[in-house]
Amino acid sequence: MILNHFQTMVIFALAVSAAFAFLSKNEMNERIRYAVWAFLAFLVVALGLGWLMYPFSH
Amino acid sequence: MAQTPMAQTQKIAINPALALVAAAAGWLVPGLGHALLRRWAKAIVYFCAVAILALVGLWMRGNVFSSNAADAFDMLGFLADIGNGIFYFLAGTINPAGADVSKAYGDYGTRLFATAGVLNLLCVLEVLQIGLGSKEEGPAAVPGS
Repeated sequence: MILNHFQTMVIFALAVSAAFAFLSKNEMNERIRYAVWAFLAFLVVALGLGWLMYPFSH
Repeated sequence: MAQTPMAQTQKIAINPALALVAAAAGWLVPGLGHALLRRWAKAIVYFCAVAILALVGLWMRGNVFSSNAADAFDMLGFLADIGNGIFYFLAGTINPAGADVSKAYGDYGTRLFATAGVLNLLCVLEVLQIGLGSKEEGPAAVPGS
């Protein structure tokens, strides 16, 4: 099974955001909120940077 | 201002020797240190996070840096990779084909494996903090509760 760049990034974002949530928050509600926020932030920033760099690939 | 029971925090003093043993165990097997301190949820989450990143990184044929580093960057890579504990020592068994960074795919694997190692080192630091009683945690996380 070959993962593409986006799938790899999703796995990275899931694992790191879950770990960061448990490292930095004590309450379960806070952890869930933080993990979702961090996961979406990883994706949005990566996609945004990808589109910003898109013109340089041509 | 009065705090609700869930919002209260407290410091937990535990035997420093146990803290060091838990930290060493947590480095060798991700999450084991927290399990020794009875932080079951954290132990499971950290093990899964580190294991997924490390295994995917190895399956993607990422590079695993050895201790005989050629330059400072290789040494940094080694320090990050060694944080994986058991996954570092079993890297050759998990992926007998070895590293292939001639393609971007292998390069992603190198990053994932290093990320797993650094993440586990953060978890080891947290084990030390909890074990030495310097990290405030909610009552729900008190050992034995």
